[in-house]
Amino acid sequence: MKEDNKQQPRGKFLQIAKAVFWAFFGVRKQSDLDSDASSLTPAQVIIGGLIGAALFVMTLVLVVKIVT
Amino acid sequence: MAAVHDHDIAHAHDHHPTGLMRWLTSTNHKDIGTMYLWFSFIMFLTGGVMALTIRAELFQPGIQIVNPEFFNQLTTLHGLVMIFGAIMPAFVGFANWQVPMMIGAPDMAFARMNNWSFWLLPPAALLLLGSFFAPGGAPAGGWTIYPPLSVQMGMGMDMTIFAIHIMGASSIMGSINIITTILNMRAPGMTLMKMPLFVWTWLITAYLLVLVMPVLAGAVTMLLTDRNFGTNFFNAAGGGDPVMFQHIFWFFGHPEVYIMILPAFGIVSEIIPTFARKPLFGYSSMVYATASIAILSCIVWAHHMFTAGMPVTGQLFFMYATMLIAVPTGVKVFNWTATMWRGSMTFETPMLFAIGFIFLFTLGGFSGVVCAIVPIDIQVQDTYYVIAHFHYVLVSGALFAIFGGAYYWLPKWTGHMYDETLGKWHFWLSMFFFNLTFFVQHFLGLAGMPRRIPDYALQFADFNMISSIGAFGFGLSQLLFLYVVLKCIRGGAKASAEVWEGGKTLEWTLPSPAPYHSFETPPVIR
Ligand code: HEM
Ligand SMILES: [Cu+2]
Repeated sequence: MKEDNKQQPRGKFLQIAKAVFWAFFGVRKQSDLDSDASSLTPAQVIIGGLIGAALFVMTLVLVVKIVT
Repeated sequence: MAAVHDHDIAHAHDHHPTGLMRWLTSTNHKDIGTMYLWFSFIMFLTGGVMALTIRAELFQPGIQIVNPEFFNQLTTLHGLVMIFGAIMPAFVGFANWQVPMMIGAPDMAFARMNNWSFWLLPPAALLLLGSFFAPGGAPAGGWTIYPPLSVQMGMGMDMTIFAIHIMGASSIMGSINIITTILNMRAPGMTLMKMPLFVWTWLITAYLLVLVMPVLAGAVTMLLTDRNFGTNFFNAAGGGDPVMFQHIFWFFGHPEVYIMILPAFGIVSEIIPTFARKPLFGYSSMVYATASIAILSCIVWAHHMFTAGMPVTGQLFFMYATMLIAVPTGVKVFNWTATMWRGSMTFETPMLFAIGFIFLFTLGGFSGVVCAIVPIDIQVQDTYYVIAHFHYVLVSGALFAIFGGAYYWLPKWTGHMYDETLGKWHFWLSMFFFNLTFFVQHFLGLAGMPRRIPDYALQFADFNMISSIGAFGFGLSQLLFLYVVLKCIRGGAKASAEVWEGGKTLEWTLPSPAPYHSFETPPVIR
């Protein structure tokens, strides 16, 4: 787990994005959760969640614009 | 354990006031929890009497029992009393009792503020109910208090606005208390991801409350100034916009419905593993899904306003968003089902209510998704279909979870086992009469019967009669609950510390009844 803390910022970003995506779906593998819990801070996940929500809104707006 | 116990005995001698002063001045989370729960039950009966008056009037077409003005006051106050008086305080009562015990804390973080949060509620309830006696009577524009009606009504409306302000302040203080308790007072070793799910759902609910209660306070304050101080926020004649009220109200209102269901999810997530004797399936998924439901619940509000006049892009956006949010909710249902899969299940009353919850809440979720489809909602909006939808999620959802939780923890609270036979009777009677009352309302709604109307066309007569019979059956069945609770408080088989053999959370390590002061020395968590 120690290594996780020193991972590249890119890898970290991806991990947050993945955690948020799966959270929106409502499913998360236990092993992935364990690594999230040990290497991500609550603040990172919450900010990630808010960015995720903003992206979600923008995607929907885009879809709606396309179909109307 | 022994150490904890000795400590408690030492403290049994410290002087705290008795009689009325014990309750008025209490800063003990268990006392305050008890007061919240009794307050909630009294409001539940009060709102229930209003509901039965409504159903008595609707037993037959025509106007028999109450005049239309009073009927509208009843529907309005029934909604407000049940939401702000019964369901929300019940969950805060559970939080007071259970959160400290489940995280190994000695009490709530702000014990005096806790007292204040509770004691704000009775005056608010008096204002709300007192509005019946004001000139012009209680507000009669529905619990959603839309202008222009809410701007035009008599001073009963002002009383209701103040009541909402006070209850909102109480909720915000309660939430700050819960958040602080959970974040700062967990026993060593109780990491966030080891917290019982009930604690998690309440943590998230408390954040939602802090976010949206001020929005409601803002909305009703604008109403108040429109009514009394010549502003024109919502008055079209003065350049205001009545639809803006609906946006502000539902920006509060939709998260509010999740505020009423997330703690219910938490209770059910405690009961199911205990009686299936298996750990909760997908604990982490549950935590994540609850958090994302909370965030996403803030972007779907206009599904309540599809017929209020909205560009088609808006309708589509809110339709898609609403339907997508049903996904994490649905995943939870799968998680509960998977928890029961191959468990060694027993069906004591709490488990019956939890299973009833899963079954009927899912039905309510489905009718919600039906309402979310714009072309269908244009047909069913403001009909009994919507009434059926939200009673499936609120009565067989939130209320059933409250009953389940009450039976689950009563032995811990009172030290006695409740009467299992009567508990089961309470469940089956509630289950039967609930469905009798509300299932037929789907048909009424699809056939076009509008909500909030004291009279109806003849073709709706049969289903209304069935629904009214169901409602009286349901209402009377709740007196059985009162009897079971009183009987349990007064005596009964002695409850062991574990009570249920499958219970794994910290409260089951305490003796039953839980000592007045618990976990003054934090427990050790592996
Ligand atoms: C699967 C999730 C859900 C979906 C898709 C959903 C969807 C909807 C929609 C579209 C409406 C508006 C219907 C109309 O006025 O025409 C509605 C109304 C309502 N819903 Fe839900 N809902 C869901 C879950 C819940 C839950 C969990 C609760 C409460 C615990 C709830 C409580 C309500 C209430 C109280 C109303 C009526 C408000 C009023 O007009 O008085 N819903 N729902
Ligand atoms: Cu909604």
